[in-house]
Amino acid sequence: MFMKTFEEKWTAWLDDQLTGKELEDFEASLPDKEAAEAEKRDATKLGTLLKQELGAQPFSNEEFFSHQLRERIARENAQDRSASGGARSTWWTVPRLVWTGAVSLAIFMICAVAVMREKAPGERSEYLTQILNMRVDPAISPNATVSVFETKGDRVTVIWTEGLQSLPSDYAAK
Amino acid sequence: MQTETTLAQADVSELDLVKRCQAGETEAFDELVTRYRTRIFAMIYNMVHNEQDAWDLAQDSFVKAWKSIKRFRGRSSFYTWIYRIVMNVTIDWLRKKQVKGAGVEFDDAIQLREVNPASKTLPKADPLPYERMERTEVRGRIDNAIAQLSPEHRAVILMKETEGMQYHEIAEALGCSIGTVMSRLFYARKKLQNLLKDVYENI
Repeated sequence: MFMKTFEEKWTAWLDDQLTGKELEDFEASLPDKEAAEAEKRDATKLGTLLKQELGAQPFSNEEFFSHQLRERIARENAQDRSASGGARSTWWTVPRLVWTGAVSLAIFMICAVAVMREKAPGERSEYLTQILNMRVDPAISPNATVSVFETKGDRVTVIWTEGLQSLPSDYAAK
Repeated sequence: MQTETTLAQADVSELDLVKRCQAGETEAFDELVTRYRTRIFAMIYNMVHNEQDAWDLAQDSFVKAWKSIKRFRGRSSFYTWIYRIVMNVTIDWLRKKQVKGAGVEFDDAIQLREVNPASKTLPKADPLPYERMERTEVRGRIDNAIAQLSPEHRAVILMKETEGMQYHEIAEALGCSIGTVMSRLFYARKKLQNLLKDVYENI
């Protein structure tokens, strides 16, 4: 046993836990061995007194103690069971919530895609674009492009021009 | 005194009881309670000096033990393990009580002496009245002296002197080093020797 402090060594010496060189060294280090021996006897007497007076404690109502404990444990077990039951029902709603959320999101996405498709921009009219490109003077605007988008159902036509330096004299597409 | 074989047999059956407890068998726990209730009650009573408080704290300790029995890995004996729970519960309680108001324990000790003389130390054959008075007085002196120690010092001296536990067992039960146990023993003994010198000199 490795002891660092005087208190530890003294305690071990009182309890007869020191042996061999440790015991010799400790006893040699005591300034007054007789006083130390007297204190050791005192400590032994104190130990005997404590053991005698406090050691044997009759415990009345032992059976009632156990009965009360059994009831308390049964109550605690019942509480734990109901608590874990509650926890389980809570866990049950979490996946349900996740599923509900996922299904809602999927429905939303389907609806959004359907609406977007309906609102898709009109098709580019190749025929009209060709006519308009012919009307743009390549000498004045060499990189000019003209596109026409139209949605027949909505009766909407969009003319999109790029790189146009100046408007042709007969501006309107006939 | 138990021989090594019977001690080993007792340990094996205790381990078996613990395993059954871990499987949720309350009857096995009841058996363990029956084995330790007297020692644990006495230990707590010696620390708190009040029968009702000792009863409640012993109940709390056993309930805690039941709740955490699944975490018992068998690295120490069940006895040391449950003592650790008992000490945590009791020392916490004593600290809270000290915070609320110092000196209450003295009142409890006096109350015990006045209301129920010698009930804790009375052997089956009743002693003579003067002997009873003398023992009650001695007991009162010891209780008062112990009440002057800190909860940790009380725990150490009681486990060593009344339970006969080894340093390493006390250290395990209190969750501290062996050096700390020995140091606390040193100071607890010094204080009790000062307070009780006339008592043990006259016995």
